Formats: sequence, structure tokens, C-alpha cells
Amino acid sequence: MPESTQDTNLPYAIRAYSAERLRDALKKMYLVRKFEEGAEDSYMRGLIHGTMHLSIGQEASAIGSTMGLTDEDKITSTHRGHGHCVGKGADLGKMFAEFFGKETGYCKGRGGSMHIADPSKGNLGANGIVGGGLPIAVGAALSAKRLGTGAVTVCFFGDGANNEGAFHEALNMAAVWKLPVVFVCENNKYGMSTSTERSTAVKNIAERAAAYAMPGVTVDGNDFSAVTEAVDAAVARARAGDGPSLVENVTYRWRGHSKSDRNRYRTKDEINEWMGRDPIPAMAKLLMDHHIVTEDDVAAIEAEAEGIIKDAIEFATSGPDPKVEEVIRDVYTPEATA
Amino acid sequence: MNAQNKPELRELSYAEAIREAMDIALEDDPSVLLMGEDIGVYGGAFQVTGDLVDKYGTDRVLDTPISELGGAGVAVGAALTGLKPIFEFQFSDFAALAMEQIVNQAAKVRFMLGGSVSVPLVMRFPAGSGTGAAAQHSQSIEAWLGHVPGLKVVQPSTPEDAKGLLLAAVADPDPVMIFEHKILYKMKGHVPEGYYTTPIGKAAVRRAGKDVTIVATSIMVHKAMETAEKLSADGIDAEVIDLRTVRPMDRDTVLDSVRKTGRLVCVYEGVKTLGVGAEISAMVAESDAFDFLDAPIVRLGGAECPIPYNPELEKAVVPQVPDISAAVRDVVQGRV
Amino acid sequence: MPVEVIMPKVDMDMASGKIMCWHVAVGDTVEKGDPLFDIETDKAAMEVEAPASGILQHAAPEGSEIPIGKAIAWLYAEGEEVGEQPDSFASVDDNKMPEQQPKAATEPAFGDTNLPPEPAPERETALAGDAGEGVRATPAARRLARDGGVTLAELRGTGPRGRVQASDVRQYLKDLDTVSARATFLPETGALNVTYSKRGEGTPIVMIHGFANDATSWAPLEPSLRHRPLIRIELPGHGKSPRLRIRDFAMLVREVRQTFDALQLDQAHLLGHSLGAALCIALADTREPRLASLNLIAPAGLGPQINGEALNGICKATRAESLGPWLRHLVADEDRITDGYVRLAMQARGDANLRAAQFAMADVLFPDGVQAFDLRAALQRIETPTRILWGKADAIIPWEHALQAPGRVALHLFDRIGHMPQLEAAEEVGKILRSHV
Repeated sequence: MPESTQDTNLPYAIRAYSAERLRDALKKMYLVRKFEEGAEDSYMRGLIHGTMHLSIGQEASAIGSTMGLTDEDKITSTHRGHGHCVGKGADLGKMFAEFFGKETGYCKGRGGSMHIADPSKGNLGANGIVGGGLPIAVGAALSAKRLGTGAVTVCFFGDGANNEGAFHEALNMAAVWKLPVVFVCENNKYGMSTSTERSTAVKNIAERAAAYAMPGVTVDGNDFSAVTEAVDAAVARARAGDGPSLVENVTYRWRGHSKSDRNRYRTKDEINEWMGRDPIPAMAKLLMDHHIVTEDDVAAIEAEAEGIIKDAIEFATSGPDPKVEEVIRDVYTPEATA
Repeated sequence: MNAQNKPELRELSYAEAIREAMDIALEDDPSVLLMGEDIGVYGGAFQVTGDLVDKYGTDRVLDTPISELGGAGVAVGAALTGLKPIFEFQFSDFAALAMEQIVNQAAKVRFMLGGSVSVPLVMRFPAGSGTGAAAQHSQSIEAWLGHVPGLKVVQPSTPEDAKGLLLAAVADPDPVMIFEHKILYKMKGHVPEGYYTTPIGKAAVRRAGKDVTIVATSIMVHKAMETAEKLSADGIDAEVIDLRTVRPMDRDTVLDSVRKTGRLVCVYEGVKTLGVGAEISAMVAESDAFDFLDAPIVRLGGAECPIPYNPELEKAVVPQVPDISAAVRDVVQGRV
Repeated sequence: MPVEVIMPKVDMDMASGKIMCWHVAVGDTVEKGDPLFDIETDKAAMEVEAPASGILQHAAPEGSEIPIGKAIAWLYAEGEEVGEQPDSFASVDDNKMPEQQPKAATEPAFGDTNLPPEPAPERETALAGDAGEGVRATPAARRLARDGGVTLAELRGTGPRGRVQASDVRQYLKDLDTVSARATFLPETGALNVTYSKRGEGTPIVMIHGFANDATSWAPLEPSLRHRPLIRIELPGHGKSPRLRIRDFAMLVREVRQTFDALQLDQAHLLGHSLGAALCIALADTREPRLASLNLIAPAGLGPQINGEALNGICKATRAESLGPWLRHLVADEDRITDGYVRLAMQARGDANLRAAQFAMADVLFPDGVQAFDLRAALQRIETPTRILWGKADAIIPWEHALQAPGRVALHLFDRIGHMPQLEAAEEVGKILRSHV
């Protein structure tokens, strides 16, 4: 939640958040990056089963969009959701353990990369179905309104999901019922291989907000401050009972769609250009420019993140595997809790 | 005047029984809410919710837009975050629009999340033929959902069970799909007052018999009962089992009966092939009850076509009393 | 076209068999069903009947080992031209099973009387039929038949396309269960079954088993007697013998005497058990000049008492659970009657018509649990060297009947041994017999 608003000449994030929160945000961005690099490395070594969808390059969107949320607030995430988990305070060891399919993982090895969730921190989970989380987020917002919890739900989805029917139904209902939900579209330009130009009739996805009579704004998703400014405003509006908003964070994924992507639909130049707009050094620079951290501090934060990842991998690899005979354990809720 | 000592058994229609169950659930638990298309002032496409909106308001008897996928997803999200939605589809056929949320989300979330959440969701599906509503408003799709681990699927056949199973579904922490036969909505029957539940996963022996087991679902239970009464005049003593729950299926009741009678006829309205009867038959064939079979298993189910409009055709494509009667006779008298 | 005679598979895990001897010389005529040759497998020796009538040609030499299913000879019709051997004999090496064990290691351990007698190989074939292969029957009918030891093939199904239904089996079992078992007994005709082990030399031993038993019951004793040719007669309604309707003891004696005469022996030792021993006494009464010795184990006919309840129980049992308790009456040491023994014994009794025949026979020979025939006088008359062997714990026939024997009859009485000394004291009984035959 934004904390102060003194000097309006300063960038929003600097005005809104304490130095401690901002240092923590930088650390989280490093954690996302290093988690995914570690995951990729483990995959290459053959230690990970299945595929994964990496969000390297999109860290400002994930961490910026969750800055203003409390543990009471909910998020629904996507198949490219590691950053959202970290933003919502997930434990890196349990994330890695899930990646390795361990009983100690967030989903006890049943979910894997695509379903990491932590309901205790308000993370209702990533979703393997494009657009699957959109109506669920609206349902969470309906609960918050009905139960009067004051919680806001941030619904992450990609540019691909904005062409699903669920997008239309969900945004419409959220608007009709004035629910406290913020739809955050992480537009990384491609739904697998198909660019937004080839798939989406409007130039900016945020324009679609008009169809649901809700505010829509498009921001540079690699600019941490711009993301927090837009999402925080939408969260505040939701919390105030004024209904949903749509925020479009324009960003880019450096890696392919998944590990089977051969990158035939975009040019090396395009990728290089976006890699030049790396959100993490940009965030470090923002903090250094405003004397919140020194260069040494940044190096120390990065080293700390590396240490956390190293410990997390160690925790994950040493964890027990799920028991085959318990595979159906969590299909139904045990009678005792009924 | 000692009428008070022997009160008349109270009768309600199947629809009234469901409404009473929802009323009790709304009354008892503020986290319960009804969702669906035209369930508010309209009272529901089949007048099942009736005037509950007057008592509980539009926030708790929530009309949704015509958005089956979105509506179902909202119900899933609400169920994950503290509410207990009872979601009504206008026609079970429309579940096809919401399959993603039912099958990929509601059924799987708990499992995918390693058991850290439950989805206490109830969905009601007005189902079945006999109303002249033709192919897209008359299906019996319980077997589709019965195929999905994570869901529970019930088919009440009486007003008493319609209320009891709905209250059991509301109390259940997992998603429960209730298939209500539209033709039964007006059927009257005894319904106990107040709160009670009918156990999910437990079949009911509606009529004990020794010659043949008829396992029926939903409206077919009544047709099977009518058949059994007719056949008893000819000395054929049929046992009629109301399956009540499609998933999890009550193995013990069915197998015990087959061990006793040695003959099995399954009667259901859904399409015969790959339907509920296929599962019942396979369950028997895979068990020790197989060794008690003294005749081939016979299934009577819906024809291999969509439900047609013409009333004679519509009747012809689902099992009727004469069909059941002929099949049971053949099985008992050794003609198959 | 000559008829091929093949090496038959007579044992579950048999890969090949050795031809021990031909009963018919090359160029001689054989009738279908007559003994044609003896084979020996790694488990048992047995006689094989001619598959057709004809003249034997191109017979594989005695001692040769041939894989199962391969030709060992050809039978030609009268007047049919005999040319080249139609096919060469297959050699065992062609399809030798790699895990085939040396013969010595699998020599049947007859000395170990804990082993139940091996069921006759032919019966295994019959059992395959019992399983109802090719018979249309409901699962319930199959279960009831299995439990009741009923062969499905012998039932008439009243269901569609002749399907046997539970009610058919129930009716059949009910009929069997009533005293009027004769109603469902389908009498047959024909000669008694005789099997041979021809390895030994000198005077053959003719062996007659007891009631509700069959030729396999001699198995524990045979290792002691192999120095002589062994000839086993199976009683009517027992083993592979036809299910004859026996009207009285005299008729039974006649059947056995005809069989004995057909053997055309100059001299023979007789060995009998229980009812078989009674028949030996009766046979000796008319064929004494041809008998070298008379060896009677727990003979019937020397007194009125017999355990009719046990005989009845054995006759009526349709499943192992009901047979076992009665079988345990046969021995002093009940541990000998293992579940496996009972199961095999019940399998041997799987043919309902066999049980019906025996039930009818018991009704004639032992009405109301009394021996209806008396051979005490006959035993007094016989001068052939005779010995009686009896267990003093016999619960079927009181051993004291042995005391009826005249002084020249040798008595061998065993403590703590029941009605079947040949099973319970096989070694000792074998030793005694071997020293005399």
C-alpha cells in the first residue's frame, strides 16, 4: 500500500514506498530472475520433468503489480506466474520443491510449475488454461464484497487471454456487480507465436475496458514505478468500492513461450532490443538515482538473492518425493473436514 | 381430536423440496448464495428458486448475465474464497458452455494445489427429456461429469432426496453436481420438515426382490418401480435400486443385490453407450458378483441420437415401462 | 491316408515322452481303443490306446523319446498301400525346453506318503472339460458347478441356446443329494479299466483298490513292488472304468473275474484293499489254481460292521469342504489328509456320474451301514498263501475282523494306523509284501 505522497516531482514509486520496501522489491525482482535462471539450468541438466514458462524480462510487471497488496488481497495467476508468486511473498524453497515434484512443494508435487499457489498468502494459483483465472478472480472479488473483507483481487492474464470468451464474461460481470478486482494484462506481445497485431483487433488491450465501462490504462510494463502507479490506483479504486479496472503492462518475455519454443516468429534484433530494456538494472538505477541504494548495495542485494536461491534449491532437492500410493489423496476433501 | 398425534405426512413437489432446501441453506449459513440466470424475480426457468429473492435479496439470489462459462468460474472463485455458491444452469445442456470451469477448475483445483484448498460448490442441472424442448434442452449428461475425478454427481429421484441431497451437497466441501429431472419437478412426495441430509454415494433399495436387480437413475427409478409392480402380478420379484449418486457410485448396494438375484438390468435416460449403465455393468463384471450372474447384463438407455422434437419420437428414444418390462421378463425368463 | 499316432501330452508340463513298449507288433492289426503302447514321462508311466483301428506301421523304436504332438507311428487301413514313412520322427533336441530337468531329480517320490496320489493324467484332460470350455453356461452356473464338483458338459442347459443356468445346476445337485441318486445315475456298459506297469519281471501282481478309490491309490506302495509287472484293475464306477449298475456283490465279483480272466495270466499275486480285498477273496474262491498269493489290506467281508456314515459322506461330498472331514476318517494321523490331498481327491471325484454310480453301489453293498456280503467261509476254504495287513486304528472296518481268519493266514497288525496302511505305513507294508511276492 502506498505510504507517502510528499514530492510530486519524484517518480511515483519513490514517493509511495519506503526505502525498505523498495529495496525489498529490487530483491524480489532478482529472486524472480534467479529463480527462473535456476529453473532453466535445472531443466537443462535434466533435473526437471515437464515444461516451464519463463517470465524473464517481465519482473517489473509482476513485482510492481503486487506492491500494493496485503496478504488478505488475492491474486489469480497464469502459466507464466513465478513472478506473481514471489510478488505475493511465496517461499522460494517451496516453489523450487514444487518444481522438482517434491512432497515439500507448494502443491506437494501434484501441480508443478503451472499451478504454484499459496492460498495462505492470497495466491489462488497459477492456471494452465488461458483465461481460466479470469472468472475465478471475479468470484474471489464477489466473496470479498459479500463477506465485506475489504480485500482486492488482482487478476493477472496475458495478451492471449484477452481473446478468450471468459475475458468478456468476467470483465462484464465484474463491472455489472462493481466488484473489487483489478485486471492486469501482461502484454508480452505474443500468444505463443501469434503477435497481438495478428490476434487482437484493438491496438492496446486497455482500450477494451471501455466496453465494460471501466478505466483502462496502458503502461510500460518494464518500468517498475509506472506499473505500481497504475495498479495501485486501480487497487485503490477497487478498495473504495468503485469497481474494477484494466491495466495493461506492456512487456516482453526474453525466452520462448515454453521450453519447446524454437523462436521462429520473432527476430533476434527484436529480442535484443527488449533485452536492452531489462527492468532490473532500470529499477536499480531508479533506486540509486534517488539515493536509496548504492552500487554496492545492489551487488549485495543480488548476492543475497543468489544465496536464497542456492538454499532454496538445496531445500528442494533434499525433500521427500510424494508416495505413489498417496496419489489420489487430495482429489476429495477428507470426510473429517466435511 | 388426536390428529396431532398422527399428523398427515407432509407432501411437497420435487421443485418445492429443492426450494425448501435452498431456503434452509440460505437461512442457516450466510456464506451460501444462489447464482444463475433468471433465478431472481423470474424465479428460475422452472420456478425452482421461486420467490426466494424476496426473502434474501438480490445479493444472495444473484441473477447472472447469460454467461455460463463466466458464471461458473465466478462460482468457483467464490467457493475458493469463503462463499458457498449454489449455481443453477437453466438447462443441463448449457453446461457444455461452462465445461472449462467445471472440469478444469472446480474439479481439479484441490488436487492441483496439493490439497490446500477445497471448492464447496453446488451446481444444479435441470436435465432430461419429455418437455418437447428438443436436442439442446433435453439431454442427460450426468455421465460426462461422472467421468471427472474431483466432482461428485448425484441424481435425486424423489422430493425427499432432492432436498436431502441438496443439503448434503451444501455441507460437502467438494463440488457436487446435482442433476434434477425436469419432469420430476411437479412430482409430489413426502418431504420431512427441517434440516436433514441424504448421504452422497449411497444408493437406495426402493423395492426388495429376489429375481432380478434393476438399477435405475432419476426418473427411470419411477418407471422401474411401475414395471416391478406390474411384473409382480406375473410372479417376477424385481429388486429396484435407486442409484442416487453416479460418482462415487455405491458399489456395495449394487453388488450385494446382484449376488442375491443373479440378474442385472440397468435403466437410465442418458445415451446408452458409455453411460452410467456401462459403469454399473463393468463394476459387476469386475467383481466377485460376476460369479453370481445367471443371465447376461442388460442395459436400457437413451438411443444413439439427440433427443428429437416430435413427441412420439421423443418418447421412443428413452426407456419406457413396456421396454423395461420386456427386458426384465427376457432376463428373468432366460430369453437373452 | 494312414492315421498318424502321436506322442500325446498327458501331463501339464510334459514336453516329450519316451516309448517304453509297443503292445502291438508292426504289421499287426489293432482295434481303436486297444492298448497300443506305453509311455514314460518324467512323472509317470502310462498306457496309450490306439486312436483308430488299423495296421501298425513305421513305429518309432522302443526307448525313443519324441516331443509331444509328433508322430510315433502310422495306422493303415486293411489293403492300404504302405509306402515310405510319411514323415521322419521328430527329435527331442528340436524343441527341447532349456529348463528341462534331469530325470532323476523329478522321479516321483512315492516313498513320501505325504504326497497325495498323482491324479491320473487322463483326469486332467477331463478336468479341462469340467471347467466348461466350450460349454455355454452363466457365471453363476459355473460357480455352482465348480463348488459342487459337477462337470458342466454333463448338464442339460435350459437357457437360451442351451445355456446352463444356475437352476440347472441346482436341480442336478438336488437330484444327486437325494437317496434316489439312481434317478440321475446314467449307467454305462463296457469292460473295466486296466492299467499296467510292465517294467518288472516274473509273476505279475494284480491290484484291486477299495471302494470310492481308484488305481492311483496304489501309488505310495508301487516303488516297493516294481520288481514285478503291475496290473491295476479299476472297479466299476471308479476311476476310468465304466459306470456299471451293480445289482449285488455277486455281480461285482463277476465283473472282476471276467477282467481277471481276460488278462490270461498263468500265475498272479493278488493284492486288494478293503472292498478290493473282499473281491480278491471271492476271486480266489474260484481261481485259486492261478494265484501265487493273496494279500489283503483291511479286507471287507469278514464281519457285518462298516462305517456307513463315512462311506455315505464320501459318496455325497460335492466339494472339498465336505469331503475332507470324511477322508480324515480313513487315517489315524489326520495331518496326512492335507487340503491339497482333499482338493485332488475331490477333483478325482469331479464327475457327478461317478459319484452317482458309487452311491448306488454303496446302497447295494453296504445297505444301512452293514456289509451285505460275508466271505468268512470263503477265506476258510482258500489254501493260497494269504496275509492280512490291518491298521489297529481303522475307523471304517474294525480291525478285529482279522481275527476271523484261520490260523494259516498271516496277520500283520499296525498300531496307530487307520484304514489305509498302504498310505500311512507304505514303507513297512511295502517291505512285507516285497518279501512275499
